[in-house]
Amino acid sequence: MYIILSFCKAPSDSTVIFRVRGSLEFSCWLESSNVSQSQTSVSTTFSDLRSKVRDESFVFNLCSSPVFIWPNKDCQASVGSVTASTPCGDLQKHVEVEDRDGGGRKKRKDRKTVSTVINLTSMTEVTVSDEENLSASHLSQKKKQHSVAMILPLDCVISTGADESVGIVCECLIGALCCQLSDMEKVVLQHMKGTAIPVPQPFHFMLPEPNGLVSVVYPANVSDSQLESCRKDLHKKYELPEDRPYFRRANVFQFPDQLFKDGYLRNPHEHLNHPNFEGANLYLVQGVYSYHHYMQDRMDDNGWGCAYRSLQTICSWFQQQGYVERAVPTHKEIQQALVDVGDKPAAFVGSRQWIGSIEVQAVLDQLLKVTSKIMFVSQGSELATKGRELANHFETEGTPVMIGGGVLAHTILGVAWSESSGQIRYLILDPHYTGGEDLQTITEKGWCGWKGPDFWDQQAYYNLCLPQRPKTI
Amino acid sequence: MGRSYIVDVVVERYFSSVEASGAACTTGLLIGQSSPQRDFVVLSTKTPQRGNESSSGTLDNVDVDWVTEHAKQVSSMLPGGISVLGVFLVVPPEMSKEATNTLRKLVFVVDKYLSKGRLWYDTEEDVTERVALQICSKTRKIICKTFDVKDPKSSAKPAEWKYQSGVSSTWPVVTCSVGINLRLPVSDKSLEDTQTCIREGLQRWAKRITAGTCLFNGKFMAQETELVAGQKKNPKLSQQKLQAQLLLPPEECQPEQTCCVVSQPSASVVIRGQVSCRAYLHSNKPKAGQATEAIKRDILNTVSCRVDMLFDDLFMSQAQGRGAVEKRHSLPLRVFAPVPEAGFCVCDYMFPDESVSAVTEHFQEILDCTIPEESINTGLEVSREEPHKPAHSTGDSCQEDAPAQLHTEAPQDVPKKQRSLEYFVGLAVAGGVALLAAATSLLYLGE
Repeated sequence: MYIILSFCKAPSDSTVIFRVRGSLEFSCWLESSNVSQSQTSVSTTFSDLRSKVRDESFVFNLCSSPVFIWPNKDCQASVGSVTASTPCGDLQKHVEVEDRDGGGRKKRKDRKTVSTVINLTSMTEVTVSDEENLSASHLSQKKKQHSVAMILPLDCVISTGADESVGIVCECLIGALCCQLSDMEKVVLQHMKGTAIPVPQPFHFMLPEPNGLVSVVYPANVSDSQLESCRKDLHKKYELPEDRPYFRRANVFQFPDQLFKDGYLRNPHEHLNHPNFEGANLYLVQGVYSYHHYMQDRMDDNGWGCAYRSLQTICSWFQQQGYVERAVPTHKEIQQALVDVGDKPAAFVGSRQWIGSIEVQAVLDQLLKVTSKIMFVSQGSELATKGRELANHFETEGTPVMIGGGVLAHTILGVAWSESSGQIRYLILDPHYTGGEDLQTITEKGWCGWKGPDFWDQQAYYNLCLPQRPKTI
Repeated sequence: MGRSYIVDVVVERYFSSVEASGAACTTGLLIGQSSPQRDFVVLSTKTPQRGNESSSGTLDNVDVDWVTEHAKQVSSMLPGGISVLGVFLVVPPEMSKEATNTLRKLVFVVDKYLSKGRLWYDTEEDVTERVALQICSKTRKIICKTFDVKDPKSSAKPAEWKYQSGVSSTWPVVTCSVGINLRLPVSDKSLEDTQTCIREGLQRWAKRITAGTCLFNGKFMAQETELVAGQKKNPKLSQQKLQAQLLLPPEECQPEQTCCVVSQPSASVVIRGQVSCRAYLHSNKPKAGQATEAIKRDILNTVSCRVDMLFDDLFMSQAQGRGAVEKRHSLPLRVFAPVPEAGFCVCDYMFPDESVSAVTEHFQEILDCTIPEESINTGLEVSREEPHKPAHSTGDSCQEDAPAQLHTEAPQDVPKKQRSLEYFVGLAVAGGVALLAAATSLLYLGE
């Protein structure tokens, strides 16, 4: 697997991400027994596709707009105000924005800096001038030749300043597309067996600074577990630690404008204003989780399911960081897991019995092969003294923490802690919410919010389950 | 609420000449455009005489197959936007009651036959009413009714028939030239199999064309945008010309497909080249969406028409036992000709070895229209072929020494292609499986 160059500048307030998506038809003839002929044929076909990308018939359409640009014709466009020298940030104003929810939801101005993403689709113009006369040619095929066809998914990203010209941006995008085709060629040549050619699929990963957004092509029929050596090479190349995944398919970068198909909210805590008291440092969950709470999935667990929901949030974290491929377990699956390890009798499945941190630890181990540490606190008031330990947890493991005590369970997503003063706030994700996936309500009403030490029942004892991140890539 | 038909006065004159010829029971076709509010009829043509028969003058002798075959021929001569809108029947007054039944039958059968083999489908916006016009041979009275061809139980609805001059004089025209490069897997078992495979391949291509986006004069317009804004204020505006560009969206990637699709067809057919396309719009506030549909349909029609013509030719060669046919066939070239006293052109197809005079004859026979040879525009698809067909040409067709010359004489070794109506009907009737089974693999030489 080889990686394309990332066309990235350091992100700033005026950074714009251009993403072009499309497809090209790959079709060629191979002699299954003749490896060198097959490889030559594949390479020639890719070379033809690169020519197609550079041809005058290759057109960009700015999504949801009447703007069509011919990148290989000096950026001729269908709208008079767009030329090769137009600043690329200006393209944004041609995009027709849909009122997504129809309820006039306001954009939150205090969101963390989100780069503008401008989406383009690649299209092919078929109206031509001066071609040959129409003819039909019949070609017999040799018996040993096979026709091989697939649709190659193109997906290229570049990050640039808003004042860069459209001409330069188009040139970069065409270059990126050609590079992607070359990477696809390498992947295909490496993984093809006879006439079985895997579809090469592009993925974008957001790496820590200074690398930024990087694209990798993986063969579709090879699973993550078989691609470990390739990921090792990538980690070495980008000087990344080898104990956490960055290049699993699940780690793929979620573009700000892309909605999650499953409907769950991701990282609602990112929309909050974080505490800013003197000496405070933030120690937050690392990565992406989805918010699981009462009444979701048409499951009425109001009053008894809070720990189950917290467990689901934790499972979603492991799935989305790429440690596991299994989907987030249902209440029944959680209960069955506990029966399977002998912790509960068979009648437990289908019941509305509560579970606690010990059960959460057991299920994480049974279903996800994840180990967890248990922290016991004899009374709620003591939690205020656990700042260092929690801070360490979020720094090293970065996983969400399930806390159960009194009659409630919650998820802790981080702490704001001052080492000098000992002041502490807890970032809490509350599974007791029974409403819909409305980010505004959830953040404004504190279902995801910062709480002080008085949030806890000062007399009750608490158990915390701290899941440990597996040290693999 | 009946439909209204705005009819050009040339049609009125044509009816007079048909009535004057005295033949009783004449059938014919009405040609024009539909729009949601009203229809425009701009040309009419009577069904040509079949062979040496004289018109018998009874309704029973109306040859429905002949009328439909004529309709098909007419249809292939019409550019986008223009189509066969219905049927007319000139009858003596005593047959007027039975005439309605005959008209009804003709209207339904013609529509069904024309829809067969099309690469596109009617949409909700398409008008499905067709006109059945009954003309009394004695009094010249016109009874105009319509039938909804999508409703087999449809009853006749009265419609308005109004004459006007210059109906098509300000019709906007959309033009473009489309490149095709398709490689279609085919089975080599028989010519019919090959034709079926090609038809399937063309249907896949047609889906992509239908999904395409059209730009007009370099601009993108939303479906509901009016194309000729402001024309009302200046009725003397000349015909608006729009250059279309067709952009195809990327094909959908199936996420569950992790591997390529492998197949082993015994042969493949490459269809490559350009086709010139044209569509007309009515002058009643046409919208960008209608223009897009019209030009896309013309693109699909012209390709399927030419492929059909090629196969008709191949089937005929096979039936006539003509020797081995080459592996590369030129498809016929399209020519356009303006209809006298009208604002639109009709078209026809010429194989490279045919002459322009054949086109003139064809227009006369099929459209009953006299179009002078010099007005036929052969410049849109210039033949780059040598006059004779070389034996085994495999690829390149561009031969620089034979530029825009059109040959007026057919070479003597190849039998002159007869493309009169008789020829095609003969094919439809005789071309059964029996004939083909007898002539196996005459066409393709093994590798």
